Amino acid sequence: MIQLEHISKWYNTGAARTFVLKDINLTIKEGEFLSIMGPSGSGKSTLLNIIGMLDAPSEGSYQFMEQSVFTLKEKQRMELYKHNIGFIFQAYHLIDELTVYENIETPLLYQNIKGAERKAMVGDILDRFNMVGKKDLFPAQLSGGQQQLVGIARALIAKPKVLLADEPTGNLNSKQGEEIMELFKKINTEEGITIIQVTHSEKNAEYGNCKIDLLDGRIQQHIKENSSL
Amino acid sequence: MFRNYLKVAFRYLSKHKGYTVINVLGLAVGIACCILIMQFVKSEWSFDRFHSKSERLHRAWLQEHYEGQIFTNTVTPIPLGPVLQAHLPEVESTCRIAAMSPLIKYNNNTFTDPVNMVDSNFFKLFDFELKQGNAGNPLPGNNSLIITERAAKKYFGNEQAIGKNLELQLGDDKIIFAVSGVAKNVPLESSIQFDMLIPFSNAKYLWSEATRTKAWSNVAVETYVLLKDEVKTATVNRKIASIMDPLVAKNYKPGEYTVTLQPITGIHLNNVLPQGNQPVSDPKYSYIMATVGILVLLIACINFVTLSIGRSVTRALEVGVRKVLGAERQQLIRQFWGEALLLTLMSVIIGIALAIILQKPFNQLANRELTLAADGFTILFCFILVVVIALIAGSYPAIILSGFKPIEVLKGRLRAGSNMGFFRRALIVGQFVASIVMIIGTITVAKQLSYLRTKDLGYDREHVVIVETNKGRAEGNQLAQRFKVVLNQNPAVINSTTSLYSMAEYGWMNMGYMDNKDAFRQFRFNAVDANFVDAMGLKIIAGRKFSADNTADSNYILVNEALVKEYGWKNPLGQRLPGKYGHRVLGVVKDFHIESLHNPIKPVMLALKPDSIFTGSSDVSYSTSPQPRISVRFRGGNLQENITFLRSAWKSVAGDQDFEYRFLEDALNTAYQQEERLGKIVRYAAFLSIFIACLGLFGLATLIVVRRTKEIGIRKVLGADVTNIVGLVSKDFVVLVFVASLVAFPLAWWMLQKWLQDFTYRINIPLFAFAGAALLTLLVALLTVSFQAVKAAMANPIKSLRTE
Repeated sequence: MIQLEHISKWYNTGAARTFVLKDINLTIKEGEFLSIMGPSGSGKSTLLNIIGMLDAPSEGSYQFMEQSVFTLKEKQRMELYKHNIGFIFQAYHLIDELTVYENIETPLLYQNIKGAERKAMVGDILDRFNMVGKKDLFPAQLSGGQQQLVGIARALIAKPKVLLADEPTGNLNSKQGEEIMELFKKINTEEGITIIQVTHSEKNAEYGNCKIDLLDGRIQQHIKENSSL
Repeated sequence: MFRNYLKVAFRYLSKHKGYTVINVLGLAVGIACCILIMQFVKSEWSFDRFHSKSERLHRAWLQEHYEGQIFTNTVTPIPLGPVLQAHLPEVESTCRIAAMSPLIKYNNNTFTDPVNMVDSNFFKLFDFELKQGNAGNPLPGNNSLIITERAAKKYFGNEQAIGKNLELQLGDDKIIFAVSGVAKNVPLESSIQFDMLIPFSNAKYLWSEATRTKAWSNVAVETYVLLKDEVKTATVNRKIASIMDPLVAKNYKPGEYTVTLQPITGIHLNNVLPQGNQPVSDPKYSYIMATVGILVLLIACINFVTLSIGRSVTRALEVGVRKVLGAERQQLIRQFWGEALLLTLMSVIIGIALAIILQKPFNQLANRELTLAADGFTILFCFILVVVIALIAGSYPAIILSGFKPIEVLKGRLRAGSNMGFFRRALIVGQFVASIVMIIGTITVAKQLSYLRTKDLGYDREHVVIVETNKGRAEGNQLAQRFKVVLNQNPAVINSTTSLYSMAEYGWMNMGYMDNKDAFRQFRFNAVDANFVDAMGLKIIAGRKFSADNTADSNYILVNEALVKEYGWKNPLGQRLPGKYGHRVLGVVKDFHIESLHNPIKPVMLALKPDSIFTGSSDVSYSTSPQPRISVRFRGGNLQENITFLRSAWKSVAGDQDFEYRFLEDALNTAYQQEERLGKIVRYAAFLSIFIACLGLFGLATLIVVRRTKEIGIRKVLGADVTNIVGLVSKDFVVLVFVASLVAFPLAWWMLQKWLQDFTYRINIPLFAFAGAALLTLLVALLTVSFQAVKAAMANPIKSLRTE
């Protein structure tokens, strides 16, 4: 489903190049739950953002569902992105001025989905996440865990094929974090959604079924079909 | 989608109430101010446009070369109208208007009110409305009279006006007129003003047959000309010469006597030509007003834009999130521009509401009866305003933010506009420039006005009341005599004097004559009693004043220094004006002002008996009719008591006739109404612009402080104290005020220099105004900014650093 070939990313600092990613080759199959690990500054988030089409590599090619992402026109890439990728952030990044309901609804607006259908879809997911009672609250009125739950619901609302999460539990306490990871696992196994998460935590990584370790922009280790599961 | 945008916009605005209020209010106040000022400007520019034939209506003006001098006049000879009509096929019709203020008697009461003597087609040319009377033939007889509603109320109260008789004194004749119609009050925006109209057939009482038919050197009436459709004014102007040249060939060479038509709509703002029957406006004033209005609006807009841009930086995150959620750039642009549009629209609506609320006080200020009309101009103006402001204000988030890579925004890597960008800095400088110019203007105008009010006029202007006799010379003098006897019994009265003109009438009688070298000479003239010099506090610098006991003094005259200078007399006493008049100079009076301080002092002659001087002069003209006026000087004290005394004294000698009085100082100040008005409006505008600019600064300082929270925190940890921090934040603004001053000073200097040119007697532009304006602006700016800066500096640095 996702194929990265010879992906490199660098910044020019003066005469020298500073590599963030160096010659990354990675294939992710549909239904995988991949954890990207590594110390700070190893290029985890950059890799995730490239996979999520939010960032472009300096070099290399990227196939997403048999389409070469970086040769596509902006508009087509946007379409590909809108319909297939959901993003989750460490800092949740909910829109403060919108209610829970409206935050979840927003991606649908950008996909020009009709009002009645939107209502059904949002109602459905609120139900699934047990948040019907909170739908009219604003983000500031929720706990961190609840906010992240909204973030996940928002990422899932448009039925993406891939869910990208950048340290989704980084701002949460361990109990809230566990709940989120359980949810991820459930989504992955029950709905077959591919999940790629960036994490510091070995424990979180263990929820996934495969794992890569990054160090200084290179893949150190690629464990497929995590045996510990 | 749209609903979502709207919701976000409203929630965002209500969440940041302070910002919204500052932003909307600032712009609304600016818009209200601009709308009001523009109404005034529009009123000035719309004079005489209410006539349906205004495009074709013209007024004739005259230029004569006479004895080496050029005389320009918008009041023309009486035969001009009929001649133009008879000889020019392009002329549809002409109408003569003679403006006068005759004595008008109703029952036992006498008044003077503006009366126009007009040709019978008056109502066919002009769109003045008749409320009552025969519209087809409003002035059926020689003795018919049309009265305005306002005058009808004054004379007849609520009684039916039609059929009432009024006695008008025309020349030496007293003629009875019968009211045949009532006209609506004349609009303020008209160059033709009257309380009554009488038919032109009454001209025979005022002018000789010769004057009325062939006197081309006498001017008496305004001549209005209605051209036929499609006729070009320039063509007619060329043709007029060929008609006039033969008629005036006896006294003028071709080209020395020219008649030109000016469009009626150009009369009011043309101050190059002399005024005709009605005063005109200096077009400079409407330009100044328009500039002030636009400046205030500009400041408000700048304020709005800087604040909006400043605020929008904080929405970078939202833009990032929306992009990640699939928003396209187009959609974001639409959202942010829509939001700016909403905010602008709110401001405009509130601004219009404010303008409506403030209409009344503004009308008082401007001395107009303006109303806000939803005409094309206003609507278009508001529409353009909304679109332009919204476009600019929304441009930053709409264009720049929407173009950012979401990941950079979300990562907080983007600290957009961490300094005030060049654009915004330029806008703030612009605001300061406008504020500083207006403060300097306010100070200078106020100083000039106070100079005008307090300048030594060469006589004592305090505690003088002028009483009008409203009677002819002989009758009026007798009445004044009797009145003065009563006055002299009251110790509160220091002195009193009777004269044909008092100091309250600007411009006395203008006399012209040919001297023995055939040069045309002019001087200002007044017939006074022996008390005049003492009562008015004039200073005699040579010779002596008139003496009441010396009957021979009526063969003598008093002149002022300017007259002595004009004739170059080394020893003026005993001199006669060369070639005319038998009177000899008895004394020389120190120069004094009989006209407003716009004008230089002209030669002045005072005499006890005017008759032989009238007959000796070849040219006599005046704008206020000569009639005995009594100037009473009080010791001061209770104004009300003094007036009550005058009223009862008047009643004891004048019986039923109304008591009409003025305070000299008030009358003098009427000459500066225009300046007074300007001063007030500039003062309010300056205040408003500073206020609005401060709103903006306050908002901006908030943003800057918020953005520099971390820096401030670090500096505090490193040992900076509150003053350091305040200095740090304020420093930028000091530089901006400095730059603004550099721009504003020459601009203000140039503008005020131009304005002061209007006055012959003027102050130097006060230098302290410049320093004062810059300091005041700096002070207000610093106060506004440091309010935020101090708050930030006092905050615990741990808090601000922890958030990072």
